Amino acid sequence: MRNELTEYNYDWRFWSILDNASKLFDATEKEFTSTMAYTPSFRATTGKLSTTGKAGHRLVKATARYFENILTARSRGKKIGLITYNFSPAVLFAFDVVPYCLEGMSAFYAAAWNRGIYESLDYCCEVGFTETSCSGQRVALGPVLAGLAERPDFIVCSTPGVCDSNANAFAFASAYLDVPFCQLNYPPTLTDERAVEYHRADFRNMLSFLEEQTGKKVDVDKMREVCEEIIKQDEIICEIQDYQRLVPCPVPGIFNLFIYDIKVLFSGIKDGTDILEAMLEIVKDNAERGVAGDGVERLRGFFYYIDHYCIQMKYWRWLEKNGISHIGTMMTDFWQANAPYARGREEEGYRMDLSSLDSMIDSLAAQSSRMPMVKQIRGPYDAPHMWLDDTVGVANLMKADFLAFMGTMGCRNTWSMVKLITRDMEKLGYPALILYADSFDNRIEPVDTFLGKIDEFLRVRDIRGWKGAVWK
Amino acid sequence: MIVAGCDIGSLTAKAVIFKDGEMISSHLMKVRSRPDEAAVEVMNEALSKVNLALKDVAYSVGTGYGRKRIPFADETFSEIVCHGKGAHWVLPSVRTVIDVGGQDAKAIRLDAGGSVVKYEYNDKCASGTGRFLEIMADALEIELEEMGDLSLQSDAPVRISSQCVVFAETEVISLVNGGKEIRDVVSGLHKAMAGRIASLVRGIGMLEKEVMMAGGVAKNKGIRSAMEEVLGVELAEVKCDPQLNGAIGAALLAGEAAGKK
Amino acid sequence: MREEIREAVTVLANRYVMKWKSGGGRIVGYPCSYMPVEVIAAAGMLPFRLRAMEVVSTSIGSSYYGPVVCSFPKCILQIAGERKYAFLDGAVVCNGCDTMRRLDDCWRKANDDMPGILPSYFAHFAVPHKVTDYSVKWFAGEIRKLIDSLEKHFSVTVSDDKLKMAIAEYNRSRTLLGDLDAMRSGPDAFLSGTDAMAIFIAGTAMPAADFNALLEDVLGGLKKKKDALPGRRLLLVGSVIDDIDLFKTIEEAGAVIVADTVCFGSKDRTDLVREDGDPVAALAERYLGSVKCPRMFGDYKRRFAFLKELAEKTGAEGVILQNIRFCDLHGSENGIFERDLEAAGIPCLRMEREYGPLGDEGRVRMRIDALLERIGAGGGGSRRALSADRSR
Repeated sequence: MRNELTEYNYDWRFWSILDNASKLFDATEKEFTSTMAYTPSFRATTGKLSTTGKAGHRLVKATARYFENILTARSRGKKIGLITYNFSPAVLFAFDVVPYCLEGMSAFYAAAWNRGIYESLDYCCEVGFTETSCSGQRVALGPVLAGLAERPDFIVCSTPGVCDSNANAFAFASAYLDVPFCQLNYPPTLTDERAVEYHRADFRNMLSFLEEQTGKKVDVDKMREVCEEIIKQDEIICEIQDYQRLVPCPVPGIFNLFIYDIKVLFSGIKDGTDILEAMLEIVKDNAERGVAGDGVERLRGFFYYIDHYCIQMKYWRWLEKNGISHIGTMMTDFWQANAPYARGREEEGYRMDLSSLDSMIDSLAAQSSRMPMVKQIRGPYDAPHMWLDDTVGVANLMKADFLAFMGTMGCRNTWSMVKLITRDMEKLGYPALILYADSFDNRIEPVDTFLGKIDEFLRVRDIRGWKGAVWK
Repeated sequence: MIVAGCDIGSLTAKAVIFKDGEMISSHLMKVRSRPDEAAVEVMNEALSKVNLALKDVAYSVGTGYGRKRIPFADETFSEIVCHGKGAHWVLPSVRTVIDVGGQDAKAIRLDAGGSVVKYEYNDKCASGTGRFLEIMADALEIELEEMGDLSLQSDAPVRISSQCVVFAETEVISLVNGGKEIRDVVSGLHKAMAGRIASLVRGIGMLEKEVMMAGGVAKNKGIRSAMEEVLGVELAEVKCDPQLNGAIGAALLAGEAAGKK
Repeated sequence: MREEIREAVTVLANRYVMKWKSGGGRIVGYPCSYMPVEVIAAAGMLPFRLRAMEVVSTSIGSSYYGPVVCSFPKCILQIAGERKYAFLDGAVVCNGCDTMRRLDDCWRKANDDMPGILPSYFAHFAVPHKVTDYSVKWFAGEIRKLIDSLEKHFSVTVSDDKLKMAIAEYNRSRTLLGDLDAMRSGPDAFLSGTDAMAIFIAGTAMPAADFNALLEDVLGGLKKKKDALPGRRLLLVGSVIDDIDLFKTIEEAGAVIVADTVCFGSKDRTDLVREDGDPVAALAERYLGSVKCPRMFGDYKRRFAFLKELAEKTGAEGVILQNIRFCDLHGSENGIFERDLEAAGIPCLRMEREYGPLGDEGRVRMRIDALLERIGAGGGGSRRALSADRSR
């Protein structure tokens, strides 16, 4: 790593960016534009978030607080739990543990900060992690391994049985840093009795781990508090996603990112609910006026795996500029039983039952086992409840004009089946495109190249008479 | 009316000139460091063969990797569309086009009218591309152009197991050091590469005849024969230089655009 | 090396397979060390570990698998697509790792395009990633599910008695393999790693009874040999290997592979299955608890302790840490093994390779030579060997 990158910790540096950005949102327009002139590295990202009004402002402020909590955890006598984005942090909040979501950090670093992330990606390899592993963890894991970020007190990982690459990164971190490790492990099925029993036993096993690590017992009141907040958040998310079905789609594309940010960073706490309330207001207003969330809707795209975060969120800005409504990814579907895509498939969803501590734990276990990816890619892709079912369901419900896949080069699991699902979706009449872009590492396929491939695809396949993208 | 197509690939630049629907000139050269300069040079060469200059061209279309850097192009199109167009013009009965260029390979399915139905690019890897052969030729210390003939002389092709260019390069060096005949190694390389391209062709679904190979690699007889073997079909013989296919498609698109003007 | 062993290692449809088939026997393939083979044997069938050494290209494998995945399952699919697995009556794919478990999806879909390449019996078998009371219980349930489906499909009965007989037979193999392993890892090792590996591999491609008879015969012959093999004592660690030419290349460079922890090798082949009580529970405990693979997340310390002990016990002078490209489970574990073994004074070599018949011999040889030179020069300042009683 270059010396200049080691002068400040990554998480501290990012907190300072966010903290300053959040203050900017309270400034006058003139103050805002003049300050932006001095922030070339993350101007476009801040600018993008500033266009989303109150929702974006609240998100930035909440995220700044999220980082601040991490940075001040030690001095406040709190433990830091390193987690993955397929894990709901709500249970950590109930234990008063400070969650540190690795991929959440990776996405922020990649989006806001052009410099620095390649070196953190590569740092992991310098200390023995494979260069072929997933960039989603590596961006933010590098500084943790290098001692350039807060050191976690323990690790909770929820992808064994779902994604080797992800789980392996956390296992590596645990072995490398010699930090206690706990895994939630998932069977390949979802709703049968054996699977449900396993989910519940495994979740309780994790609770014992948390009790051991924190020296605290499960607190019923705190648990109820986070569960109640989850219910509020889920209701709003489901309402927003119902609006997302409208043509034109009144939900700004970036709100998809907000939805999963909230679920993986602010699940069960008021910060998340506040952002969602602001989002719903904007969506309702757009719907009433009959306008698309991003202005004009030319096409509706469903990104059947994950999104792209590099180079100041260029992908998001390009979609918006070109009137492509982003109608979801695998990451936006958390499978609340009352979600629009769960209609007729309610048994696959989860419900929060607050009647007793046991029922709350079972509800959280059910929620956990339905997190994005955890639900869809744990079994054969074409088995009931899995990737194909969900992709077909959402593509139909949200009236997708085309589908595009992008992930990371480290994703053994999806790269071992994406050709199959893509073929199936084509057979069902959905134009579907596999992209070789890496969501967190722009060196794999530069953002302009892969956006060019989307443009080419829409044009060659003549999707809704696509005449070519706007680039400038 | 004079129209032109210009295809700036990663390794070569191609220009084609059409007059009233007939191809009257073409030129092909290696791309040096600057694609914009290569575009001007290759186009001027093609034009000068028929005593024309850039000012005489009513409309020109650019394609290929460097298409956005062609200074004189009125419009640009992707290689997929251009190869589809070009192939349909060269041989209207073509339904499958396999284009293997310097940096990438693609398989394109066309309908009877020459429109693209489906297409697929190679995986993010150089193993099935012209660049792969170039690296191997370097490793074997032979000329790229010799490879086709050499491999056809082989009666005992070696097995190349590595899918990765970097691994394959060391594998090739080991084989030669181990006393294997160069012709057998080259033949093995062609088979390995044909295997990679075949999986691409499978990706666009059923293999429909006629099947045409385009791009620089299509001139390599060894690859053509390995492709025929692995796909179990005979590749169509075409009258034009297959490396010009993309530029021809571009020129045809230029003709259409000029007609609409 | 005996011809029947060489054949079993290099030819898929070897003489044992052909004999079994001609006697009307059925064969069920499986790809991973976590498969309780006793279940298949107790159903009266031959468990055959899937391999793909006869692979020439991956044109079929790459049509279904994506680009950035391990070549091992891709090559198995290739072989299946080329109909070289026509002798299989069934296959059970398990979730050893993500790429391997997708062999289920890819093989089924390839069969849509190439009807008949999928055996008539085809099952998905899941293995938890942790060892707890409830995961062992769940795994036992998965084994019972497999038994049920085998019984139903093939109209056979898998009784507890049959399971116990199969366990006893495979335990006999394990004991004999333990004896064999000692002959190559002891201080006066006179059995080469290549020969030992060939026998270990052969055991996955023939009936246990035949293998036990063959092993007893081989062991009888070996007891008479005395001369210790010259060469640096190395340990081979990491991703799956079933290519004895790779072993040969390493040993020809001036080494003896005194132990290995690779699939097909000895690491999971000598731990016995408990023979008392419920046989399904015994299988679940043994397979989930004994098999050593980085797919069991968060269990690094136990695996490192095993490796370190193995290095000490065998007096290993160096360790080769290899992985198939895109196998991050082994690849990244090798990274920490390297750190911790080097800290313990054991020189290591990290190496990436591809699955398949050894093509890049020169590249492998160059790296091995460098490791051996380093050991010869005193391990670059490290201790020469862990075991104090060995002086070479």
